[in-house]
Amino acid sequence: MPLFATKLTLAGGALYVAYDSGLLGNGKEGSVALGRAKDAFPPAVEEWMKYFGFQLPATPKIEFSPLDAWNSGVQKSFHALSVAPSTASDYTKQGLQYVKDLTK
Amino acid sequence: MSEKELGQKWDRCLADSAIKFGTGLGLGIVFSVVFFKRRTWPIVFGTGLGLGMAYSNCQNDLKSHYVLHSKVAKEQ
Repeated sequence: MPLFATKLTLAGGALYVAYDSGLLGNGKEGSVALGRAKDAFPPAVEEWMKYFGFQLPATPKIEFSPLDAWNSGVQKSFHALSVAPSTASDYTKQGLQYVKDLTK
Repeated sequence: MSEKELGQKWDRCLADSAIKFGTGLGLGIVFSVVFFKRRTWPIVFGTGLGLGMAYSNCQNDLKSHYVLHSKVAKEQ
């Protein structure tokens, strides 16, 4: 009986903690909770490193951001298409000028 | 809805899915260890519950732009 009560307390406590920190709420609460976890992660890692006395290697900085690069292909293609007429006319003029210079 | 709003909704969806998946997994592990003699099915069940909650939240969030919201005026 006391063992069952302990188990019930443990499981109930875990469930209550999850409910209280907004992990089981709607989308907004979930993203707020994720932000809180992200903010709390580096100090916690540092604390544990100090406690155990070893250094984790520094995370390499990656310049690439998938969020920013997601539409870049489409954006670049359509930008190229939109400037294509003026670029083509510029190159044609340059080509004609070059040919004229050759025939001088 | 504007594309910016849609993008924000999808970001919230992904963040919420990660949270719910982790919470479901965690609670499933706790219940499995405490009550069910370390069997696998509570873990799978908890994860499934988490994913289901995330799906439902995403669905409501994406629908909310098109659903009529009303407020009931309180009687004075």
